[in-house]
Amino acid sequence: MTCSEVERVLPELLDGAPDDAFPPDFDAHVKSCPACSDLVSDLKLIASQARQLATTEEPAPRVWLRIAAELRAEGLTSDPAARELESAHRPMLVPVPSSPRWRWRALWLAPVAAAMLAAGAYVISYKRAPQVAQQAPTPQETSPSPVIPAVTPPSVPATAPQQMAKKSAKPTGVNGAVPAVEAAVEPEPSAEDQQFLSVVSTLGASTRATYQNQLNAVNADIREAQAYVDRNPGDADARQHLMDAYQQKALLYQIALDRIQ
Amino acid sequence: MASLRKASIRQAGIQQTSIHNTAAVTLVLATCLASAAFAESKKEYRFAVGPNAIVSVDTQYGAISVKSGSADQVIVTATLKSDDVEVDQQQSGSRIEIASHLLQGANEQTGRVDYVVLIPPDATLNLHSSIGPLSVEQLHGDLTLEGTDAVVNISNVENCHVHVRTMRGPITLASVRNGHVEIATISGDIHLKSVTGPLVLASSGRGKIFYDGDFGAGGDYKFTTHTGDIEALAPADVSAEFRVHSVLGRVHTDFPLLPHHSRYSMKAGSSFVGTAGKAESAVVLRSFSGRIRLKQR
Repeated sequence: MTCSEVERVLPELLDGAPDDAFPPDFDAHVKSCPACSDLVSDLKLIASQARQLATTEEPAPRVWLRIAAELRAEGLTSDPAARELESAHRPMLVPVPSSPRWRWRALWLAPVAAAMLAAGAYVISYKRAPQVAQQAPTPQETSPSPVIPAVTPPSVPATAPQQMAKKSAKPTGVNGAVPAVEAAVEPEPSAEDQQFLSVVSTLGASTRATYQNQLNAVNADIREAQAYVDRNPGDADARQHLMDAYQQKALLYQIALDRIQ
Repeated sequence: MASLRKASIRQAGIQQTSIHNTAAVTLVLATCLASAAFAESKKEYRFAVGPNAIVSVDTQYGAISVKSGSADQVIVTATLKSDDVEVDQQQSGSRIEIASHLLQGANEQTGRVDYVVLIPPDATLNLHSSIGPLSVEQLHGDLTLEGTDAVVNISNVENCHVHVRTMRGPITLASVRNGHVEIATISGDIHLKSVTGPLVLASSGRGKIFYDGDFGAGGDYKFTTHTGDIEALAPADVSAEFRVHSVLGRVHTDFPLLPHHSRYSMKAGSSFVGTAGKAESAVVLRSFSGRIRLKQR
């Protein structure tokens, strides 16, 4: 079994499929391949945490629709992924009538954080380039390159819309310098980020500013990694960094949620 | 005329004295009220516990310091900065829960509660404080510490799981033996000194990671940052396989590593794979754009 074949069955992990539902050589490959092993363990964690959401309160359906729409708009999911997000991974939740209103406002953060991780993992696995791309060294990989080219060939996979390339952060040079021709433009916060900031603003103006700074930083990291992956789809390590950046954002949401509760 | 003038002056003096007295009394009253409102108080709670106790302390504002105490008792000393905050405490068997309860109008100053906690050395410990600091030492039960801006310090712990999570707070672990360590922070720095165990994971988005130790115990050590630098200091006789890679940054080592096959493409100056000694531990240092240095002590 190859990495590509493993990636094709990974979405079933999110569905909570039992282990015996996978091809017989799935386990053998995962045990022998560190990259797939990491991916599988991450996805299992995401799936288990998403299932645990069943005991909490459900956000309004519009929240899921807005998440899906925003992910589609940012090019983070294709329609099948969005459908999965809207249906398969939607937790079954029971509202608690006596809950204070502010908790209602805050608890959407948990599924959003989980959805964000799920979306990130799905995008990364869904858009992963074929193995051959990784095995064929690019000029950047064979010789030290002090500066990332300012203009790179459009190696963005067909599934990644142009909008993503537009919204992605510009790459930094070796020393973190932003090439002059690609000055970064801070994009408008997404609807979910705005809602997140609205919720944390209940903690005070300075707290909101702190979270906004952290959120901007994490979003910048995501855009930076995404832009690099778009240009270098065969770079498995960069993909892992993209996944790490999504996890950082989920961590930020979770920390905020803990504080509000 | 002169006597009338004297009387007028005397009356004015009396009025002035009266105003001064009133002001003084008001000031004293205000001071009393203020000191009552911000009165610092200290409370102590004692709980008898059996083996495998679980202790949780949660405070929005304030420091938590936990040390090893007697095997069958938990002692919590809480210093409340004002009457705007209370301490809720609950015991269910050997499970102890302590939480600061902010009252209406409490803020970072008036809602602060500092805790000093003595627990059995093998107790499981959960701590949360937004601003901290959080300090734990001389324990060998599982530890979970979470804070937003809290500075986290853990020292002299062994044979336990250590989970730490912060947003900006720096995290320092010292003398952790045989630990299963997982640290995550968004922008805090991570300092690890003499931290060993079967699993040591540390990730920071924008913070730096420093490691000073021998990468012992045949463990897996994985340090990851996005933009932060990573610096690892190890003795010359370290026994580990190193995989070091920075996507956009530079890497450097002064260890004479033996080249090792890797399925990942190596890029001179930004990645290397190699072994030292018998390669008993696996060390992975990864950064997206930070600089990584592996230095010999």
